[in-house]
Amino acid sequence: MKKTQPPLSSAVFHILLALADGPLHGYGIMQAVELSASSEPPMGPGTIYGSLQRMEEAGLVKELATRTDDRRRVFALQPAGRRALALEAERLARLAALVREKRLVPEGV
Amino acid sequence: MSDRFSTRLLRLLMRTYPKEFRERFGDDLARDFEQLLMARGHREAWRFALADLRRAVPMTHSDDQRARQRRYAITLGGEGHMGTLSFDVRHALRGLVKSPVFTAVTVLTLALGIGANSAIFTLVNAVMLRPLGYQSPERLMLIHEAIPASGVPRFGVSAADYLDLAQMDGPFAGMGVYRSSTVELSGTESPESVSVAETSASLFPVLGVGAAQGRTFTASEDQPGERVAIITDTLRRRRFAASSPIGERITLDRRPYTIVGVMPAGFEFPKRGTPFNGQPADIYVPLVFNRFERQARGNGYRHSVIGRLKDGVTAQQAARDVLAVAPRIAQNYPSELRGVSLQILATPMMDEISGQVRRPLLILLGAVGLVLLVACANVANLFLSRAVARQREMGVRVALGASRVRLFQLLLIESLLIALASGAIGLVIANWALRAVPAALTMSLPGLSDISLDSRVVLFTLGISVLTALIFGTVPMTAGMRRELTDALRDGTRVSGGRHQHRLQAGLVVTSVALAFVLLVASGLLIRSFAHLISAESGVHAENVLTVEVTLPLAGYNQAPRVRSFYQVVEERVRAIPGAKAAVVTTDLPLRADGDRRAFTPENADPNAGGTEAMALTWAHGDYFSTFGIPLIRGRNFSPEEQFENRLVVIVSKNFADHFWPGQDPIGKRLKFGIPASPQPWQTIVGVAGDVVDGPLGSKPIVHVYSPYSEPSDQLLASAIGSLWRRMNIAVNGDVDAGSLTTSIRAIVASIDPALALAKVTTMREVVREMSAPQRFSATVLGGFAAGALLLAAIGLYGVLAFAVAQRTREIGVRVALGAARSEVLGLILKQGMVLVGAGLVIGLAGSLAAVRVLRTLLFETEVYDAATFAIVPVLLGAVALVACYVPARRAAVVDPVVTLRAE
Repeated sequence: MKKTQPPLSSAVFHILLALADGPLHGYGIMQAVELSASSEPPMGPGTIYGSLQRMEEAGLVKELATRTDDRRRVFALQPAGRRALALEAERLARLAALVREKRLVPEGV
Repeated sequence: MSDRFSTRLLRLLMRTYPKEFRERFGDDLARDFEQLLMARGHREAWRFALADLRRAVPMTHSDDQRARQRRYAITLGGEGHMGTLSFDVRHALRGLVKSPVFTAVTVLTLALGIGANSAIFTLVNAVMLRPLGYQSPERLMLIHEAIPASGVPRFGVSAADYLDLAQMDGPFAGMGVYRSSTVELSGTESPESVSVAETSASLFPVLGVGAAQGRTFTASEDQPGERVAIITDTLRRRRFAASSPIGERITLDRRPYTIVGVMPAGFEFPKRGTPFNGQPADIYVPLVFNRFERQARGNGYRHSVIGRLKDGVTAQQAARDVLAVAPRIAQNYPSELRGVSLQILATPMMDEISGQVRRPLLILLGAVGLVLLVACANVANLFLSRAVARQREMGVRVALGASRVRLFQLLLIESLLIALASGAIGLVIANWALRAVPAALTMSLPGLSDISLDSRVVLFTLGISVLTALIFGTVPMTAGMRRELTDALRDGTRVSGGRHQHRLQAGLVVTSVALAFVLLVASGLLIRSFAHLISAESGVHAENVLTVEVTLPLAGYNQAPRVRSFYQVVEERVRAIPGAKAAVVTTDLPLRADGDRRAFTPENADPNAGGTEAMALTWAHGDYFSTFGIPLIRGRNFSPEEQFENRLVVIVSKNFADHFWPGQDPIGKRLKFGIPASPQPWQTIVGVAGDVVDGPLGSKPIVHVYSPYSEPSDQLLASAIGSLWRRMNIAVNGDVDAGSLTTSIRAIVASIDPALALAKVTTMREVVREMSAPQRFSATVLGGFAAGALLLAAIGLYGVLAFAVAQRTREIGVRVALGAARSEVLGLILKQGMVLVGAGLVIGLAGSLAAVRVLRTLLFETEVYDAATFAIVPVLLGAVALVACYVPARRAAVVDPVVTLRAE
C-alpha cells in the first residue's frame, strides 16, 4: 500500500472505525456507525452490506467463518483495512490542524 | 400493520437487490429489520429501511450487471428469454425519466384531473355511500304526518299519534321516537349549550346500535322516574378524559342526571339532513311524555319517528300501510277536529338524509368526469406526438426482432406508470382540496362532519387511473401500430405522422373543445343562478346584526315573573350598549325557519281569499322591525304598554293582509290563533310589516304574524310546554364589531344569571352566507372545472397546431419562397385551427343543449336555455381558441424559406 490514498467514502470510513474494536455483525456495525456518524444521514443494513461487499473485494475486511448464535454473518478488519483507517485518520488530523492554524475554531476543540 | 407483514413486505422490496447480494445477505437484512422494528417501531423502521433501500440498491448493482441490462434494453428481447414484466417496468421508467418534461406535463395534467375526481368522489362517498353507522340502515323508515289543507307539506308526529301508531300492528318490527333540543350543561366546568335528543327506549334497538359502555335505556325509563342519560363518545372524551363516566352525575338544565351509557365512537344521531330534529346530539335522555302530551291530539307535531321494516316488507308496502291507518288515528281526534284529513307518510331514511344533496353532487361528479376526459384527450395527443418522434426507435426495435405485442405491452406499461403516478399525486391533491371545503358546507351536508379518504376512495382513484391509462394509452397506439414501423427506418431525415394520426389528433381537439363548451355552459348557468340567489330579496335589510341564543332552564325559571324580568332586563341593557341602534329578544330569527307555525282564523276575510299555508308566529320584546331592518308599511309598532301587558294586538306581514283583505285597510281587522272553533280570543291588527322569507334564500315569503312577548300567559310561560318561549334569541343591530358586542351581551346575561350559556353566536351576514354556501360551492367548483377544461382544450389546440406547423415547415418555406404573403400563411394555419374549434363549438352546443336539462332543479330564477350564457360561452371559448391558434400560426408566418430549404 502506498503512503497516500484517496479520501475514504464516509460509509467505508465509519465501517472501518466500527470494526477497529473487533469483529461485529451487520446490526452491530450499524449501531456503532450511528454513534460515530451521529450527524450524517443514517446508514441502513443494505448500505452496510453493500459497502462490506465492496470492501471485501478491496481486501479491507473479511467475513469470518463462524456465525453468531442467531446465524448472523460476522465481519472483521484486515490489516489493509487497519492501514487504510490509520492513513485516513492522519489525513483528517492534518486537515484539522490546517483549520486550527487559521483560527477558525476555538482552542481546545 | 403486523411485524410479520412488515417483514414480508420488506422481503418483497429486497427483490430490487441483485440476486447474488440477496442470496448472501437476505437473511441478515431481514433479521436486522426485525430488530429495528422492535427497537424503534414501525414508522421509524420503515423510514429507515426505505432510505437505506434507495441508497443501497444502486450501489449493489455491479457494473457488469448494468451493462447487461443496457444491451438487453436495445433489443427489447424476443419472447422467452428474460422477457419479464419487471424488466419492462424498469425499461419504461427509464424511458420516462429520459424525457422529464413530457413525463411531468402528462403526470401533472392527469393528476389534476384524477385529484378533482377523487375529491368529488370523497364527498359522494361521505354523503351517499358510507353506511350511516346503524344496522341495515336501508330498512329504516322516517315517519311524518301531514294535513293537506294546512298547506305545509308535512310535519313531525304528535306524541298522541305516535302512541296510537305504536299500538297498532303495522309494517314495522319496531318503532322509536325522538325530539331534539338545546339544553344547558353545567357542573364541574363552565356551562355550555349542548344538543340533546330525548329518545324512547325503543329507539336504540330500532337503530340496532348498543352502548359501548354501560347500557341504553330500559322501557321503564319511558315513565317519569330517576333521571338517566347516555352520552356520545365525543362528549366522554371532552368531559371524562380518563375515568369511566358510568354512574357519574351531570347537570342538564340544572337537574342532575346519572350517566348509564356511552355510545360507540363515531355514532351520530340524529343525522343532519333529516327534515325535523336534525341536530346531532351530544347527550340522550329518555323521552317522557306528560299527561298533556299523551292526550294532545291535533297538537305538538314535533317528534320524529323511525320504524324498522319487518322482514319481507318493502318500503313501498310500508308507506301504503301507514297511509291506510291514518283515518283510524284521526278518529281519536276531538270532535271539532274530526273532519281533518290526516295523512301519515313513511319514507326511507337514507333518501331523507342524502336526498337533497344527491343531485348536485352527482352533477359535480359528472362534470369532473368530463374534465378528466379532456385531460385524457390532451395526454393522448401528447402521446401521439411522442409516438411520431419515437417511430425510428420503434423501427429499430422491430428490426432487431421485438414483436409488436411486446412493443404494445411496453407502451401500455408506460401509460399505466404515468396513470398510477398521477393517481398517487391526485390523491394528495384531493386530500389537500378537501381541506379547503368551507366549514359552512360541511355543516349543511349530512355525513360531511367526517370527510376522509377511506379505502373506497383509494380504490376509486386506482380504478379511474387504470381506466385513464387505457383511454389515453391505447388511442395513440392504434395510430402508431397501423404504420409499417420499419418504414421509419427507410425514410432518412424526416419523421411524420400519417394521415390517420392527423385525423386522430384533430378528433381529440374537437372533443376537448366540445367538452369544455358543455362545462362552461353548465358553470355559467350555476353562476348566474347563484348571482340571482344572493341578490334575491329576503325582506331583511340589516346585516350588522349579532344574534345569540340563550335557553332558560325550567328548573330555575318555573315562575313567570322570573322569565319576564329576564327578557325585559336583557332587552333594556342590550339596547343601552354604546353603538347599538336597536335590540330585541325574540322566539325566532328571520331566515332560519325555526319558529312556531300555527293554524289561524282571520275575521271577515275576503270570501274568495281561500286558505294559505300555516303562518309563522314570532313573539318579540323590543323593536324587532328596526333590529332586522324590516319596514313597517302601515300602522304602528307595539306600544310600551302592549309590550309589557297582553292587550291582544298583533302585527301582520303585508302578504297576510293582502291575501285576506285585498283592497281594504287591514288596521283594526282581527284574527285568532287556531281553527275557527278554537276558544282563543280575537286579536287586533295594529300594523303591517314587510314580507320576510323564512327558510331557504329565494323562497316565497311566508305569511307572518308578530306578537308581543306579553301574549303567552303566565301559566304557559312557566310550564314544561312553554320551552318555546324560554328559548330566546337576543339580537342587536349596531355598527359595533361583532366581537365586542358578544362580550357585552355575555356580560349582561352573566350579570343576571352567571350559569346561563350562550349558544349559536352569529351575525345575519354569516347566516346569509351559510344559507347560500351549497350553491356557492357548486358554482365555484363547477366554475373551476370549466376553467380547467378551457385551459386544457386551449393547450391541446396549441399543441396540435404547433406540431402541425413544425411538420409543415418545409412546405411553408416552399410556399413563401414561391411568393406567398405572410398573412396568407398566418391565415392558412389559423384556418386549420379554427375549423377544429368550429366543429368543437357545434358539437358542444348540441351536447350542452341536451346536458343542461339535468341542471334544471338546481337553478334559481335562471332558464336552462339562458340566452346570455349560451351567447357568452361560444365567444369566450372562441376567443381563447383564437389565441391558442395564433401563437403557432405566427411562428409559421415568420418561417424563413432560406433556412428551411437549406436544411433539406
